[in-house]
Amino acid sequence: MATIIEAAKSAGCFNTLLTAVEVAGLTAALESPGPFTVFAPVDDAFAALPPGTVQTLVDNLPQLARILKFHVLAGAHRREELITRPEWDSLEGAPVAIRRAEPFEVKNASVLQADIECDNGIVHVLNRVILPG
Amino acid sequence: MTPPTAASLEAPRRSSLIPPSQHRWADVIHRLEAGGSMLPDTPENLMQIIGIYKAYAVPMDFYWRDLLYIAERVFLNPLPAFKYLISQEYLDLPNSYAGDQSKLRIWRGGEKAHPELLEFMAKGEAGSMPKLLHHLWHDRINMEFAEACMQAMLWHQGMGGRFYDYLETPAYRANADRAIKAYFRGNPVMLGLYKLFPEMFMEQVKQMSYYANLGLFWEVMAPVFFEMSDIYDAGGFQGVPDAMNFLVNGIFAVAGRPIYHHVYVGDECIEIIPKSEGFTWLYEAALPYVEAVFYRTAPFRGTKSYNAQAGQVPADQADFHYGILYADVFPVGSAGIPPTLLMQDMLHFLPPYLQELYKQHRRGEEDQLVQLGIAFQRSMYNVTSAVIQALRTALFYPLDDTDPEHLIANRRFFEAQMDRFLRPEARLGDIQTQDYR
Repeated sequence: MATIIEAAKSAGCFNTLLTAVEVAGLTAALESPGPFTVFAPVDDAFAALPPGTVQTLVDNLPQLARILKFHVLAGAHRREELITRPEWDSLEGAPVAIRRAEPFEVKNASVLQADIECDNGIVHVLNRVILPG
Repeated sequence: MTPPTAASLEAPRRSSLIPPSQHRWADVIHRLEAGGSMLPDTPENLMQIIGIYKAYAVPMDFYWRDLLYIAERVFLNPLPAFKYLISQEYLDLPNSYAGDQSKLRIWRGGEKAHPELLEFMAKGEAGSMPKLLHHLWHDRINMEFAEACMQAMLWHQGMGGRFYDYLETPAYRANADRAIKAYFRGNPVMLGLYKLFPEMFMEQVKQMSYYANLGLFWEVMAPVFFEMSDIYDAGGFQGVPDAMNFLVNGIFAVAGRPIYHHVYVGDECIEIIPKSEGFTWLYEAALPYVEAVFYRTAPFRGTKSYNAQAGQVPADQADFHYGILYADVFPVGSAGIPPTLLMQDMLHFLPPYLQELYKQHRRGEEDQLVQLGIAFQRSMYNVTSAVIQALRTALFYPLDDTDPEHLIANRRFFEAQMDRFLRPEARLGDIQTQDYR
């Protein structure tokens, strides 16, 4: 099996996310044994944000890291487990709400693909960037 | 005057997938669901709010510069008599969102203090005289308004974000301690007082951190409002929703801007709140600002007496409702109180089309402070609409979503926001008509 980073690279639709993780200096962390649960927004999700949003974050790495950490939970959690609790604490500190089981929704994002198994965790693919609050 | 049309007051609902709202502000909720603002879309409303944004942006260009000057340079000066006499360095401080040097340029104009501001600072109403006389004569920008907003944020706290929590951490206290000792280096009297009353000094540093917070918040809003005025002058906005959407996009664009507090002692920079804490413009400044200043604030001294024992002031700070969205602008228009200070500041920079408008209504020039106060109220209902739409975008679903559950989630969010305007003091109903002036 691949690590979370390797799996994301081979999928080809997470270029913005991977760049953001790289510049925020989080690549090494996501290659560590973890395990982690990563909610991974696809490129289209970042592109849908109003102009300037991503650029401001890329120019300010601690702030970028904060938003990225909101997309990560400690531990490997599959869909069946996630839907048993209304919310889970993210590495950013704020809780991530699981709003719906069927279809599976994390906060206001739809899960395009759930339960992608990696060496060091589980990836769920999102159609939207999720934000704390 | 252009009367609002039925269509603009009650925008058609884009979706019939869910039943109509039964909320008291259902019309406004349906308008928000159709992508509109709480403020009806009329040409006069657009003119009023853009004119006020322009008139607000010029003093705001002073407020943010002086707030940062106080937070970073004046700092704990025990006799800060000259804190409003900002240094040239801070008048020239390049705005991060205007000018050629800005990474994200919001305003097409320059990065230094606005020319109209500099002109007013030189002449005031009374004509050319030494700076100190302008200051003592109160013929100047009323920084007291900016400080009142800062104090509202400091006092209310606990409005989301992590800023206030950080002020209680050992890391913050250690940084503040370093700054206090550096600032009073070679001053045994103040260092002795610090030893005796350390918490008093800590509280002052916390207040300084809020000066920095609000300064960094307004550094963004001034170029946003200048740009909106320029777009309007060039015929660029078709209606109130356009103006609101410009604000929504702006909120997202700068959401990740760092909020920090640095202090300069000579050439030494002490990072009391380093950028690396990850605090952001949206969470640690904008949202607490809107909550503290637009909704809550506190009763102003000298306008009306409240008896707290008789329950006339809410026991819970979250229920405070003395902000601009609830203000009765007429009695508030008394000398010396913060909103009047702002109105006086804006009066100096009104675009000609608003001066003309105020002359045509009510008592003309006699009550133009009240008229512009009410226009300011309209304009802040539009800013609040932008915040509500931005939060809806960030936390809920697109307006053209086709999943009824998503539309119901949006509806609940809008209804919860409108619940705050159910209390009788709210001005949401007044701004629906044009004859509220």
